[in-house]
Amino acid sequence: MPARRPPVRRIERWLWVTASLCVSALVAGPLVRVVASVFEDSGGVWSHLAETRLADYATGTASLAVLVCVGATVLAVPPAWLLARYRFPGAGVLSWAMLLPLAVPGYIAAYAYTDLCAAEGPLRRAIDGLGAADGMAWLVPDMRTLGGAAVVLASTLFPYVYFAARVAFREQPASAIESGRLLGAGPLATALRVELPLAAPAIAAGLLLVLMETVADFGTADYCAVDTLTTGVYRTWLGLGSEVGAAQLSTVLVVPLIGLFTLEAWLGRRRRSTDTTCRVMGDRRVSLGMPLGLCATAACLAPLVLGFIIPVVHLAVLSVNDNTDAGRSWLPTASWNTLRVASMAAAAAVVLSVVLVAASRFATGRATSLSFMCSRFGYAVPGPVIAIGVIAAVSAVSGALHAAGLPTLGSVFAVGSLVTLVVGYQTRFLGVALAYTRAAFERIDPRTDDAARTLGVGSLGLLARVDLPLARRGLLVGFVVLFADVVKELPITLMLRPFDFETLAVRAYKLASDERLGEAAGACLAMVGFGLVPAALLGAVLSHAASSQRIESPNR
Amino acid sequence: MTSSSTQPVLRVRDVRFGYARGHDLFAGVSLDVGRGEVHALLGPSGCGKSTLLRLIAGLERPASGRIECDSQVLTDGGTFVPPHRRGVGIVFQDLGLFPDRSAVSNVMFGIRGPRRAARARAKELLRVVGVGDEANRPPGQLSGGQRRRVAIARALGPEPRVMLLDEAFEGLESDLRRAVRNDVFGILRSRGIASVLVTHDEQEAEAVADRVVRLPRLSRT
Repeated sequence: MPARRPPVRRIERWLWVTASLCVSALVAGPLVRVVASVFEDSGGVWSHLAETRLADYATGTASLAVLVCVGATVLAVPPAWLLARYRFPGAGVLSWAMLLPLAVPGYIAAYAYTDLCAAEGPLRRAIDGLGAADGMAWLVPDMRTLGGAAVVLASTLFPYVYFAARVAFREQPASAIESGRLLGAGPLATALRVELPLAAPAIAAGLLLVLMETVADFGTADYCAVDTLTTGVYRTWLGLGSEVGAAQLSTVLVVPLIGLFTLEAWLGRRRRSTDTTCRVMGDRRVSLGMPLGLCATAACLAPLVLGFIIPVVHLAVLSVNDNTDAGRSWLPTASWNTLRVASMAAAAAVVLSVVLVAASRFATGRATSLSFMCSRFGYAVPGPVIAIGVIAAVSAVSGALHAAGLPTLGSVFAVGSLVTLVVGYQTRFLGVALAYTRAAFERIDPRTDDAARTLGVGSLGLLARVDLPLARRGLLVGFVVLFADVVKELPITLMLRPFDFETLAVRAYKLASDERLGEAAGACLAMVGFGLVPAALLGAVLSHAASSQRIESPNR
Repeated sequence: MTSSSTQPVLRVRDVRFGYARGHDLFAGVSLDVGRGEVHALLGPSGCGKSTLLRLIAGLERPASGRIECDSQVLTDGGTFVPPHRRGVGIVFQDLGLFPDRSAVSNVMFGIRGPRRAARARAKELLRVVGVGDEANRPPGQLSGGQRRRVAIARALGPEPRVMLLDEAFEGLESDLRRAVRNDVFGILRSRGIASVLVTHDEQEAEAVADRVVRLPRLSRT
């Protein structure tokens, strides 16, 4: 948080603190409601879950998380090091293209891979065509397994680790690495003994994001039939019809996830506080000779092929080959709904994040710091858990408003309204908006604010006339990233959407669940298209950073 | 700018270097540094003092010229010995200590052999440079002078034939700077290590060096 504390009038301070507390209550309220469910009676659902399914859910979650983290490390770290230190064929393009898998939601990659590896799928047919069905059967793995889910998630989430590692390798002190060389260590030994330990905190922070995304994942685990706590919450809510039981199951996830989130924030602060005075490696890269250069190209191309090219190409083929008229009838409506709800949610998140960041600038203190922190936790929490919390909280608020004689307002906050859906998105994604908004405001020179204050501008005027115009580019980037995140979001939309309201994600999920992947391919590709924008923005950050400039990682 | 010595350990002959074609940073630099000698490089900013050290260390390749160490060709038209096989130690201005390792672990990095023996030798080196009590502390918990001493000890670990000091005493308060400098050059001379010091400080160069080499303002051809 900015350390500066421009003096504001007491009434202004009070207003900022109140606004900040209201925002955090809105987004953190559902999570508090989930945790409070521990004290409620679930009608025997919790004890039934604890006896029958809890161990499976916990084991599935832990196994998936470990496998995905290992896979993401293997896919991300060697290419990040190669691209940071060497020049080889295609390195320029691969440097930013490695971020493209971020555009592919895990569950969409799962649909593509499952279809590709199905018993009658193209891979199997190709192998049968070669007449080597038995000998090469291992080439067509069963994707509806723990291993399949892990491969899909690792290949779509590894860019989080890649980005963090790439920035870390670039910003390492040149003198430390050159000292390693002069002390007798060759390039590989220097990488293992100096560069990797120095990059470890950044890699760990990237892995924590992967871990949180994996634990929060619903679509991939559900489609690949892996029992996790997140899918368990959804099934308890839908199958057993028990909100309280689902909420109690959610608490098993919420507490450790908030711990992980705090750890990630701490690692992020530690990365930002590293020495900025020394000469960094920047873009100094050595040319690799031809045989080694081609090996490096192949090593960097493999994760990209796995996480982006194969699923997107297969979906494109499916979409082109789909002849059903049904595939065209719902697409405009679902696209419009998606655009509408994603725009509303992203705009609301940017506005709320500006309120929180401005409050922490103009009314520095424990209340605003606490509000800021509480508003970020939702990012670590799986969508079904948030949806359960929102349903419980909104039911309570709606009931209270009806009881107070305000039925119109009560129906606005009813389960199944657009407002409730947008509130759910805020709980999940406000942390992302805060990261971008804070970064945008921190770039403003404090002396600019000071100058404006001496010219008689109050805090609101300062925000409107000076800070917002200066921060607008960062806010726009935040809006675009949030927009893409909301487009891809599945479980919150699935559980909180109004009746008969379908987005691209919901429609694709329903069609894929019915094994109608050809029809779903168009929606999947549209979502990938939306996701390409933030991936391109991150790629631009990597490309734009000049040789010795320090980059602020936009990791959440 | 040629200096000579009867038994040079380090020989630099007609080294030429430029970051872009047709823009030489310097051309025709020669240097002979004998066993236990200290040569100081003086010159204005941007004249290529640090670059010359990087060429000797093998961190850059010269456009032309020859660099030898104990009659072994390090850099020539067709020969280029990589930095980790040159037997050249360097202390950078920003030191380049490994922040995630303790002082003793930093020094052990370049010492070959069994771990226990390497540790004992690293501790001995730390004691020699006057920071034996700080062996287990990471660089972040050491003062500026202590960090420099650790960097010297680390560079001494692999027993280099040549030591390069790139403004290695910058930023130290004058009394401390004198004390660290005298200790360091005392050790380097006693071990017969040929040393090249890059500095902006003319008085420092005159005080510690056997020979002062002045690089001219960068000339572009």
